[in-house]
Amino acid sequence: MHTESKQLTVKAVSLAIRAALLLFVGASPLVQAQALDAENEDVHALIYPLNWLEIGVLNVPTDSPKFGEYNGLYRSGAYLLANFDIRGGDAYRQDGGTTRWQVSGIDLGTTSRNLQAHIAQQGVWNFGVSFDQLRHYTTDGSYQTPFLGSPGDNLFVLPPSFGVINTTTTASGGVITSENRGTQSLTASQQAAFHDENIYSERRNTGFSAGYRMNAQWAVQFDFKRLDQSGAKLIGSGTDAYDLSDAGGFNYRGERIAILMNPTEYKTDTLNLALNWTGRKGFASLGYFGSMFHDDYSGVTWSNPFVTGGTGDQPNPAPGTSPGDAFPLSTMSTPPDNQLHQLNLSGGYLFSPSTKLTGAFSYARNTQDASYDGTYTLVPDTAENLPVNSLDGLVVLTHADLKLTHQAGKALSFAAGLRYNERDNRTASREYTFLDLGGEELTAVNIPMSNRRLQFDMGADYRFGSHQHLHLGYEYDRIHRWCGNDLANNAQGELSDTNAGYYTNASCVQVPKNEENRLVATWRARLGETVDLNAGFTHGRRKAEVNDSFYNPMQANDQGFENFGYLAFFAASRSQNLFKAGVTWQATDQFTLGLNGRRTNDDYDSTLGVQKGHSSSANLDANFSYSETGAVAAYVSWQRRSRDLLSASGRNAVALRDTLWSNNFGDRDHTLGISGTQKALMGGKLDLTEELNYSSSTSRYVTDLVQNINPAVGNSGSSPDIQAKTTQLRFIGAYRLNASSSLLAGYLYQRLKSTDYFYNAYQLGFTPTTLLPTNQQAPNYSVNSVFVAYRYSFR
Amino acid sequence: MKRGRTVALLGAALGFAAAMCSPAIQADETTPTRVGQDAVCTRCHDESETKPILAMYQTPHGVTADGRTPSCQSCHGASAGHVAGDTEGKGRPAPDVIFGSKHTPAGYQPSDPLVQTEACLTCHKEGLRTHWSGSQHQLGDVVCSNCHTVHAANDPMLVKILQPEVCFGCHKEQRAQTKHISTHPLDAGKMACSDCHNPHGSSGPKLLVKNTVTETCLTCHAEKRGPFLWEHQPVNEDCTNCHTPHGSNISALLKSRPPFLCDECHDGPHNSQAPYGTAVGGIQGGGALAGGSPNSNAVGRACMNCHVMVHGSNSPTGAFLHH
Repeated sequence: MHTESKQLTVKAVSLAIRAALLLFVGASPLVQAQALDAENEDVHALIYPLNWLEIGVLNVPTDSPKFGEYNGLYRSGAYLLANFDIRGGDAYRQDGGTTRWQVSGIDLGTTSRNLQAHIAQQGVWNFGVSFDQLRHYTTDGSYQTPFLGSPGDNLFVLPPSFGVINTTTTASGGVITSENRGTQSLTASQQAAFHDENIYSERRNTGFSAGYRMNAQWAVQFDFKRLDQSGAKLIGSGTDAYDLSDAGGFNYRGERIAILMNPTEYKTDTLNLALNWTGRKGFASLGYFGSMFHDDYSGVTWSNPFVTGGTGDQPNPAPGTSPGDAFPLSTMSTPPDNQLHQLNLSGGYLFSPSTKLTGAFSYARNTQDASYDGTYTLVPDTAENLPVNSLDGLVVLTHADLKLTHQAGKALSFAAGLRYNERDNRTASREYTFLDLGGEELTAVNIPMSNRRLQFDMGADYRFGSHQHLHLGYEYDRIHRWCGNDLANNAQGELSDTNAGYYTNASCVQVPKNEENRLVATWRARLGETVDLNAGFTHGRRKAEVNDSFYNPMQANDQGFENFGYLAFFAASRSQNLFKAGVTWQATDQFTLGLNGRRTNDDYDSTLGVQKGHSSSANLDANFSYSETGAVAAYVSWQRRSRDLLSASGRNAVALRDTLWSNNFGDRDHTLGISGTQKALMGGKLDLTEELNYSSSTSRYVTDLVQNINPAVGNSGSSPDIQAKTTQLRFIGAYRLNASSSLLAGYLYQRLKSTDYFYNAYQLGFTPTTLLPTNQQAPNYSVNSVFVAYRYSFR
Repeated sequence: MKRGRTVALLGAALGFAAAMCSPAIQADETTPTRVGQDAVCTRCHDESETKPILAMYQTPHGVTADGRTPSCQSCHGASAGHVAGDTEGKGRPAPDVIFGSKHTPAGYQPSDPLVQTEACLTCHKEGLRTHWSGSQHQLGDVVCSNCHTVHAANDPMLVKILQPEVCFGCHKEQRAQTKHISTHPLDAGKMACSDCHNPHGSSGPKLLVKNTVTETCLTCHAEKRGPFLWEHQPVNEDCTNCHTPHGSNISALLKSRPPFLCDECHDGPHNSQAPYGTAVGGIQGGGALAGGSPNSNAVGRACMNCHVMVHGSNSPTGAFLHH
């Protein structure tokens, strides 16, 4: 543990908060000295908390929503710095009172503001209110769209003059290939319709809490929070390219994509009520947890600018011309209202000073019955064939755990634990006939998935003298997956000739059962008085029970399976080895050096799918307190991650494909930081803190055509690096003007350089990709910011 | 030092005065009563210590009128030998309970972790500490004072913006991950580690505050709870199948970039069977269809260009998570 470092580090982007808290929490001599001249003031300072008010201004010279992603400093200009923390109550007088109160406000001049008030008669009752705002920017100020509508709306239409995007095909039968696809280039007038929108989603969390302690044994605690969300986040959207002139109402036109502003107009009420009992040998808590989610919308509707069929009186309009009466509309759902009600019981009992049993049980009902109205494109087939108008969904969540610990003498201890979690989805299955993207009529059955997980662990710890410690453990983990009704369990689709025989006894899950056994060993030792060593090894072996007749319900009827031998990585059989080791050297009372690392190797047994995974890291830390008032700290972190995937091209569920390709993922991260603090400079008047952080991350994918793949059906090679480099440099100083006043000033330099091919497809005028461009760019910024604030403190 | 000594003496007086006050809440028989023993200690231990102690009177442990409030010796033990001093010429014996993991400036070795922890659990055994015994931190010999600074006026562990630094003292991988381009708002002080984790032990994995990973995430992300008409199995089971919550180079906190992320589970349906590699024209990235045109299955959001409802859909037309 290096608790020193936390007092030296200035890391939060929120400069004002950090400046204030560092001075307040860091037990700075400067702060401690404020208002202290006489001995009685010394007592006063020890008893009474330091209250402070802070007001100032912070300047941000450039717009950067990414820089201001969470701190509210997203636009250039001056921001008001306003923070305060005031506490009081008769308990501080130490004369018999037990009441304390606190009112605080942080970052009040930004959209990341926080306000809290709390009062308590310690040991009897408490009461608190809070408000927290967080505006999360998700675009870098460059999102452009031709749709009319604002963030937070759920209807996005195109201006009538926008015209159909050129997607003319030459193929008969509506089958589009890369060869016959239209250019999809936007006309000059269409490009002119694009305008900027700033995308953010804002959270406003209002809370209320209260508690009452009836006596030494019984207490009750209550808290309520309302989370109001507004704004939008970006989302993709495949359009329904329908053609009313077609007899079926739809005609296949491919899946054209627009990036939309998905509204986040949500409200979530969270409620906790707990009755707690504490006795001499035991304790227990009975509680209720409720979470009620509400969405102001049920869906998002938008114009389809890719339609080529036109409407009744003006069929087949030429590209770039109006489609007639209006653009056809597509609709997709937004999150449905839902509720969770949970009863919780937990407690513990001490059989003896050395033997303890703890446990918990909870039972929850998660329901969802939002109407389907407004969640789909209204076309005749869909509306007429709905089996019900809402899901009436129910999931029952059950949890139970027990843990027994026993200290058998000073050197030996045992622990054994059991955990049970069940997600029982009791929602009914029904057949839904609908028109998918492109207008294909399909029938699918909703598959309510359930799982039950049982975990058991036992371990022994032995101390060799006072300097060595050995832990040996065993862990067992089993998960069952199932569907709770016959319709879901027999939901396989129609079989094409090539796949005949694949299904034998269809089930809704690919891996109905996983079992994993793990062995754990860790060792710690102290060499002399200054060196601590630790090492650990874990070996795990997970086995999958595979259902070869699995039908993936999320896919079309003739596509609802994975290639033979392909398993999802999180359920596939796997062996895992984890090594870790570390050393800490307390060279002197002032200097500490630490080095630790870990490596994990995953080997999967799947014929196809993820074959190997690996992660490793090394971390070097140094802390040096060169005087009572000065210290520096530094760290370096090195991290690597990789994943090897083997996949098959072409669909053949019956036998293993021999057309193989691989994809290897590699992630390389380097992080370093240096921080320092100097207190009580200039005769005790000046405190300084500095911090530099640098982070570099690179992700790369390499695809190889391994066997029998015609390069014409796909390509290989490396994707461009996804790279982000962040530099943060901060200086903060506090100068004491007099006993109650301080001047704070700071400088922040923060830079992000990133490249990401994610954005290539969104550029105007770029190679057609069937995506409507947004002109978004990979986030890059360089911000030099300064602040100055006046701080008044008193007790 | 002179002033520190003065403060110490006043602190001792304060301790006696506190003991004389009639407590608003009578101590129950299960908790020790504060009897003014502080003065025994504050006569010597003052603000000139490496870890000043007297600001403790500003903390809940310093509300002397609360009958449950401990004295110094409630936690550190009666320490008779230490109080008596160097009676045998072998140096002053150590107090009964020394907190921490390193020797003190006076050279005293820290007490056994079990002894240290028990000193705190005597009063704090319930609530968040229910699952302490047998938890990862307990087995790792982490003691309360490794994280909590009880003598200071403000414990950084209990200040949201400062708490991550305490945790990062050991969890260095997570410290590095929070510097990535896609993160939760820890660095901005809008979240703390304890919003998701209970370091005292929990009924869930990874010391999570709820029974499961999913249950923990849905506390804030209730819009993804459903149950949906069309579900996605990895979402129901564990959010970390796709997300890495401490930070990622791939937005939004994804472990990998679609379509490759989706390829880790899907191989048959649709275009998940198609390899995507080198850029078209050197800049596209993510692949191309035969014939050279970029493929919307691989660029931008890739699979999620169309399969947008990856967390589940409530639309009757959303069987393939399109709507």
